[in-house]
Amino acid sequence: MSEQTGKQMSKEEKDARFEAELLPVLDPLYNFAYRLTLDEDDANDLVQETYLKAYRFFDYFEQGTNAKAWLFRILKNSFINEFRKKSKQPAKVDYSEVEGYYNSDDVEGEGGVATTTDLRTESVQDLIGDEVASALNALPVDFRTVIILCDLEGFTYEEMAKILDIPIGTVRSRLHRARNSLKEKLENYAKSMGYNNS
Amino acid sequence: MESKFTEAYQKTSEEGHESDCDKTAHLLDLIIDGEASAEEQSFFTTHIEDCAPCFESHQKQKLLKNLVSGHLKRVIVPESLALSIKARIQETA
Ligand SMILES: [Zn+2]
Repeated sequence: MSEQTGKQMSKEEKDARFEAELLPVLDPLYNFAYRLTLDEDDANDLVQETYLKAYRFFDYFEQGTNAKAWLFRILKNSFINEFRKKSKQPAKVDYSEVEGYYNSDDVEGEGGVATTTDLRTESVQDLIGDEVASALNALPVDFRTVIILCDLEGFTYEEMAKILDIPIGTVRSRLHRARNSLKEKLENYAKSMGYNNS
Repeated sequence: MESKFTEAYQKTSEEGHESDCDKTAHLLDLIIDGEASAEEQSFFTTHIEDCAPCFESHQKQKLLKNLVSGHLKRVIVPESLALSIKARIQETA
């Protein structure tokens, strides 16, 4: 019995291990692909391609290491190498991308300012979500990427540096610029919601 | 009085000449992302207790992060996707 070394596994064992370790990342991975491509079919293709590549290199994947970061890195490379070339338009902005959504339920409750009473109703929550999505989708893809990785997926700067193949200093400065531009895009909206007191 | 030269110099060389507010501003992202060291964290916390503008920028930056983490809706993965991944993997030698 050799559970540790991947190489002598039967195909059945390998497939089972692959599914157990990597398929749980499907949801965040698909969401990342969708936020990059802004298209459900493209996201679908990109994710499938990512898993097939991961399968080909699965023997080199060490059990217990960061499967999520590994898959995100493969997906981001596929996106840069193939999808970016294919789609000539910079970023399709689809404001009606509302179908089949649910709210993420791990809202950090420390947003102080955001928790005034009328922000609690569901329809207002939806409006905010739509507005954030529009603003985010309007950002250049590099900016969108760091915000998704950091704020939505909770990767550390070090993980982001590995996923994106850039130094941590570049992660920091890119994230900073990305946030400034997101802030700008959300500013008018924020004013209308009474957030902005500057 | 500072000359324009000094001002420009301070902008380019960021070591040593930073005011506490500048330093706090540079730490903002590290703080909200949980990447600051204990020392940076305590400097930051102490400073915003006394400095209203920095306190406010911290609130705003946290709010921005929470807008994304708390309000951006996730797309639902099509049911067929996991199945087609499994199928394609099984075909692979
Ligand atoms: Zn200050």
